[in-house]
Amino acid sequence: MGLFSRRTTARKTGAEVGLGITRKYSLTPGKSYVVEESPPDISFDAFVNIISTTNGEPLKKPVGLAVSRQHPDLIRQKYGLEQTPIYWLATRAGQQVISPTNLGILTHTLIQFIEDNPSAVILLDGLEYLVSNNDFNKVLRVIDQVNDHISQSKAILIIPVDPRAFDQKEVALLERNMEKIGGTARR
Amino acid sequence: MCPQVIATKILVVDDSEAFRKVMTELLVRVGFHEVVEAKDFDEAMEVFMREKPKISFVDMILPGRSGVELTKAMLAVDPKATIIAMSSIINKKMIRESMDNGAKDFLLKPTNEIALSSVLTMWSD
Repeated sequence: MGLFSRRTTARKTGAEVGLGITRKYSLTPGKSYVVEESPPDISFDAFVNIISTTNGEPLKKPVGLAVSRQHPDLIRQKYGLEQTPIYWLATRAGQQVISPTNLGILTHTLIQFIEDNPSAVILLDGLEYLVSNNDFNKVLRVIDQVNDHISQSKAILIIPVDPRAFDQKEVALLERNMEKIGGTARR
Repeated sequence: MCPQVIATKILVVDDSEAFRKVMTELLVRVGFHEVVEAKDFDEAMEVFMREKPKISFVDMILPGRSGVELTKAMLAVDPKATIIAMSSIINKKMIRESMDNGAKDFLLKPTNEIALSSVLTMWSD
């Protein structure tokens, strides 16, 4: 059985309906961003804001993909996402589910999405959960691989990180090749 | 470095006292020191007419009359007022209704300095 033979199949991807609101976050295409915060409010707000608005170019609304420990139904309900594929990081079986231990499928899903949608916006939430199920360095390798593809495209990667869940060295390694967006962690 | 103090009066309408407090703190942090508050439609209209804020952040879900009704009432008093709708969920129908009734923009709660600064840069002089 090939490595990606059990790859998850994404539902039809499309741009979200525009909300007619202001683009509040100016993130640079081709870059990855770390947001030190808990809960991941800024990350989700930025993600939803970017995929629901245009930057003055009506035909260039980016498409998004989210991976989260939160259930997709809750995310869709809270953020009004209808077209955006959302993958649930969980140990349950299902079409829109990625097992936290299956880093190969996670990597492949993200890279494939970037290749299919060069202006994609990707939210990777649940890093703490991934690290609790894998070695930190393995997770870092996933991020580095995805980051390499981001750099070669016009895509944007947003990763919320709860700084309380990592030691200083790990945070530094995570932020090594990424821009940092100011955030907060509720203690 | 302290942000520049901006002389634009802002009204925050939300039934949660805790949220109003956090929002006021955020506004002060991004340079807006003249902040007034209200908890519902009646109080908001009273404060709005008395204080004449340039920008009003209005929660869409208020006890009694809704944020959309409040938006309409405020704009009937001052058509030049800038109303920013707020909500803790993105309900596209509700956002569209707010914008159709004169709200200029939408802010997801809880908000943060980046989003707030961006909205204020857009809508304050």
